Amino acid sequence: MSELIYELSKLVHRYGEHVVLEIEQLSIRKGRIIGVAGPNGSGKSTLLKILAFLQAPSEGMVYFEGQRVTFSDPPPRREATLLLQDPYLLKRSVFENVAYGLKLRRDKNDLTRRVGQALTWVGLDPKSFTHRSWNELSGGEAQRVALASRLILKPKVLLLDEPLASVDAASAELIMQASFRARRDWGATLVIVSHDLIWMHEVADEVLSLFNGSLAGTGARNLIMGPWQISESGLWRKELEDGQQIIAQSPSGDQSVAVLDPSDVSISPKSLEPASQRNAVKGAISQMIFEKNQGKVLVNVTADSISLYARMTEDAIKALSLHPGQTVWVSFDFDAFQWL
Amino acid sequence: MERKRMKPWKILALTAILATQLLLPGASASAGEPVLRMATTTSTDNTGLLDYLAPLFQKDTGIKLQWVAVGTGKALALGRNCDVSILFVHAPAAEKKFVKEGYGITRRKVMYNDFVIIGPKNDPARLKGLSIPTALKAVTGKNAVFVSRGDDSGTHKKELSLWKAASLQLPDKKKWYIQTGQGMLTTIKVAEERSGYTLVDRGTYIKYESQNQGNPRLVILVEGDKSLMNQYSIIAINPESCDKAAYNRTLGFIGWITAPKAQKHIADFRLLGKQLFIPNAEQ
Amino acid sequence: MDFILQGLIEAIKLLAAGGGETYSAIFTTLKVSTISIIASLILGIPLGFLLGYAEFPGRRFCRTLADTLLALPTVVVGLLVYAFISRRGPFGDLGLLFTLPGIAIGQTILALPIVISLTASAIEGLDQRLRLTLLTLGASGRQLALTSLREGLFAVLIASVTAYGRIISEVGVSMMLGGNIKWYTRTITTAMALETNKGEFAMGLALGIVLLIIAFTVNAILSILKMRAGI
Repeated sequence: MSELIYELSKLVHRYGEHVVLEIEQLSIRKGRIIGVAGPNGSGKSTLLKILAFLQAPSEGMVYFEGQRVTFSDPPPRREATLLLQDPYLLKRSVFENVAYGLKLRRDKNDLTRRVGQALTWVGLDPKSFTHRSWNELSGGEAQRVALASRLILKPKVLLLDEPLASVDAASAELIMQASFRARRDWGATLVIVSHDLIWMHEVADEVLSLFNGSLAGTGARNLIMGPWQISESGLWRKELEDGQQIIAQSPSGDQSVAVLDPSDVSISPKSLEPASQRNAVKGAISQMIFEKNQGKVLVNVTADSISLYARMTEDAIKALSLHPGQTVWVSFDFDAFQWL
Repeated sequence: MERKRMKPWKILALTAILATQLLLPGASASAGEPVLRMATTTSTDNTGLLDYLAPLFQKDTGIKLQWVAVGTGKALALGRNCDVSILFVHAPAAEKKFVKEGYGITRRKVMYNDFVIIGPKNDPARLKGLSIPTALKAVTGKNAVFVSRGDDSGTHKKELSLWKAASLQLPDKKKWYIQTGQGMLTTIKVAEERSGYTLVDRGTYIKYESQNQGNPRLVILVEGDKSLMNQYSIIAINPESCDKAAYNRTLGFIGWITAPKAQKHIADFRLLGKQLFIPNAEQ
Repeated sequence: MDFILQGLIEAIKLLAAGGGETYSAIFTTLKVSTISIIASLILGIPLGFLLGYAEFPGRRFCRTLADTLLALPTVVVGLLVYAFISRRGPFGDLGLLFTLPGIAIGQTILALPIVISLTASAIEGLDQRLRLTLLTLGASGRQLALTSLREGLFAVLIASVTAYGRIISEVGVSMMLGGNIKWYTRTITTAMALETNKGEFAMGLALGIVLLIIAFTVNAILSILKMRAGI
């Protein structure tokens, strides 16, 4: 129903020889909240910079609202704005910081009211904050001023890089409320990078998993890293330190990364033995995450050094009376893997 | 509703405007009046003679005299480079060569005094009353500290000629022979600090006496020899080789200082009641 | 001790009396150093900004050159400028030797590497996030450059103060290009260097005191700016 705001195609970005991002195809619809997950160095920040038009990709095409973006001409930077994880404030007053983008656009109507409004959105009282100097703010307040200076521009896209990583709980709540307002009030699209999976699955319409610069699909993904060893039977095996093992069919190499859809994983509170064609691994439940967009629950099981998600219905969880800390057995087929 | 306080760049801009305001009148004023630039020996400057004459000259002619006080050697170099319009110096041999080479014209005598050798009151080398050659021999024999200008000035040239006349080798690298490379008063101060002897023109010595309320640490020990005569002359820089030289003003000054009125001013210039220079311009 | 104490009392009397040779040297110094610092800032800040901000072939070389010239001896500047503005030199017809503009030229050349090098360092030292932030807020190339300069303004001010300190305290240039002409090109430092040991000890002390006051004032202004800028 809603149109696309971004479309990425055959996108490759390199630093020198090193490929940091490689996306065959990605579409983002207008007005959605997109979460981006992935370990450090997986290309999340590079993706955000490309979406904010701050970085031209080495290869490939980016479309914004159906238009091909050429990075050599000034790209449509004023439509999308990025909030850095560690925000930079100009060495000026809060007012000057928030009004800066509007002044750049020579849009000086009613500045005082609009700055006041933007500050109110992020939960800062204009009376006491407007005239403060940039260095008279706490970390959380600075992050909120930085957000206000972007919200005041009413951008079509708000890109947030780890917005909650270095702020207190109260600021985190205010930052999220203000960001959601952007979607509610003028239909902004939000792209949020975060380490906090629980939170991200709660708020995002869709979660992209990035691994080593590649999209490991949308939604939660289990990633099992090599090395894999070939066994006599021609199957490949990864040994865990506690002696358990995971068996897979034909990876593309001994260092390959296996991707496992949480929907293909089941959980049993009772002891399971590995069977032919099916793995069984013993572990303990560490987290249970409600997935807003699927209406299901992700159960996170930690087994030795790896962590696996299983997607289950609420009813199934109730039937098995699963709870965090419980010892369980996860099972999945030898051929359930995709390979990166 | 921006905060009403001065921004750093506004302060900078204001300072710049203020500074320009401050500077412009000063710059235009000095550009307006005619200036005559002179290179002179340190003795005419150190004694205060030029401080005394310059306002009188400006009153009579409207020309402002500016001078650079350097040794005579440096003064001649400035003249050769056309950096000044007139020289007021005291090294007759070098001056004659300068004129002969075509750099200067209209050399006129202005005044004279004499050189003296001064030294500590206790006179460790016993110079008092000796003639110049015997005095210099006594200095050499006793390795007494002798402070030289060493700056190619008129006084320095005179000192070199005295060593030569006494058939003595110049004690150039001797430990007791100190070459300051500086002006006359500074050189006297060095002699004072090191309890040494030095050659000085009488005018500067009187200035030094008066600075010390008539009770100086260094006193006159050798004087009165005919070879100690110290003639000051004035030379116009040749307008042919320095086309922009303010030749008219130069001639104005030469005419003024050699005329009886200014000659009397020179005779009247006294410190501690003593006359420093004796005018001798030929009319 | 008496000698120094006596000099100090004389110095304070001289300063209290106003006018005279002492004040002439002070005003000359203020006048010429103001011209010099303004000229070196007008020339040096854009060049320093360019050097710290832009990428162009030979940038590294220019940077090294500016850094090397930081230690340019005043007498070398004096000598070189003398060669150019002496009547025998290429710009002799302008009649700049032994004038205030002559000193100002030398002092500007002396201060220029300081302004250029420190401005370039200030711009290079700006936070990496600044560029991203300004671009994502919609700054154009020109707006990016201007705001970057303003963000580095305090460091540029430090550069100016350092350069001013160098100008106000130098002797060689003022002596060689100004000639220590009384009432005209005699500055605080040439008066101190050339007059003090001719027996004008009190005047030397008085001028020394003024030089310290100027240095103190400049630094006080700097720290006020620093406080206001909130750094």
